[in-house]
Amino acid sequence: MEHHNVHDPPPHSGGSQPGGVMNTHGPPPPQAQQLPPQMFTTAAQLLDLTDKKLLLVLRDGRKLIGILRSWDQFANLVLQSTIERVFATITNPKDPHPRGVYADKSHGIFLIRGENVLLLGEIDLDKDDDPPVGYEKAEFGLVEKLANEQKAAEKARETKRIKKLATLGFEGENMGEILL
Amino acid sequence: MADAEEGPTGSVSEPLDLVRLLLDEVVFVKLRGDRELKGRLYAYDSHMNLVLGDVVETIYLIDEDEEDEDIKTTTKKSEMLFVRGDSVVLVSPQTSS
Amino acid sequence: MAFPIQYHIATLYALKMAGFWTFFKTLIDHEVTIELKNDIQIRGTLKSVDQYLNIKLDDIQVVEELKYPHLSSVKNVFIRGSVVRYVHLPAAAVDVPLLEDATRREAANQAGKGK
Repeated sequence: MEHHNVHDPPPHSGGSQPGGVMNTHGPPPPQAQQLPPQMFTTAAQLLDLTDKKLLLVLRDGRKLIGILRSWDQFANLVLQSTIERVFATITNPKDPHPRGVYADKSHGIFLIRGENVLLLGEIDLDKDDDPPVGYEKAEFGLVEKLANEQKAAEKARETKRIKKLATLGFEGENMGEILL
Repeated sequence: MADAEEGPTGSVSEPLDLVRLLLDEVVFVKLRGDRELKGRLYAYDSHMNLVLGDVVETIYLIDEDEEDEDIKTTTKKSEMLFVRGDSVVLVSPQTSS
Repeated sequence: MAFPIQYHIATLYALKMAGFWTFFKTLIDHEVTIELKNDIQIRGTLKSVDQYLNIKLDDIQVVEELKYPHLSSVKNVFIRGSVVRYVHLPAAAVDVPLLEDATRREAANQAGKGK
């Protein structure tokens, strides 16, 4: 991992750099100009998140929660104390609002290849213990079973949709590979 | 608008030259994932990333409640939209309307 | 440099468009909505963008929260550029003539390189 800090001054020196010119001529610079250039690298974006508790969403729809311990320029990531969180809904014919359930499974240390990461987010530790609105914790086996069923149903719907639209000259995006 | 087929404002020697001639014109964009956009082209680059203004997006869906599953569309509007190039299927001049 | 340079956004656009990277840098601290290729929409304050157009958003809010519960305790996100479908931009923060001008220059540059 690179050991620089986003708040360090830019590595370039005075004259050739925008900042130097700017101070003697012209109007005050817009804000974007003042930000150090290394703020705009993948490394700087990940540096802030090191040792933080993160939520990862993978390309196959899996959600992982863990502490980011290491990363590289490809955004390959090492997570510690990784848990996988699954979500599902329980539909009750008597209740118009489906009930949400979720469950966690521990996995330990994971190294994740960068290209499989859709997004990652820093978890607000103040809200970490609150279940998502409309969701409650349930037994893992149950949630996983429901989630798999719902994923399969969604995939079947998506396949049907793509097939139907293909007859009109449309082509499906990723053939439903990227899920929630 | 500039007549893209005659190319009075410069020759069309490679595909993206056509897009250059469409700058500040209303264009039709077909995207992956059964989506279409209509909007004014403000910017593009060699990846076909685009910025469009006053955009109308049309999404094609199938009506699952119906037995015969008819195609239906929904439209969404956006004032200013960046479109990532890897979703773009085609860009075309939108002469009418 | 022998000539005085006025470093306002116009020159920033013109000097180094570098695709849309520079354009996005001018939108930092503005509120945007990112729509991903899996349809999820995330609104937040644009905090950072890199050359791959990976984007960092602060104070995020998921547009359909009930459908996407997993982001409920997340305060900021790093989104991989390749999974983005759209970025809905604040129209007031975009200088259209400048953007078109920068695009024409960039196109001219590209044409020069190709021949």
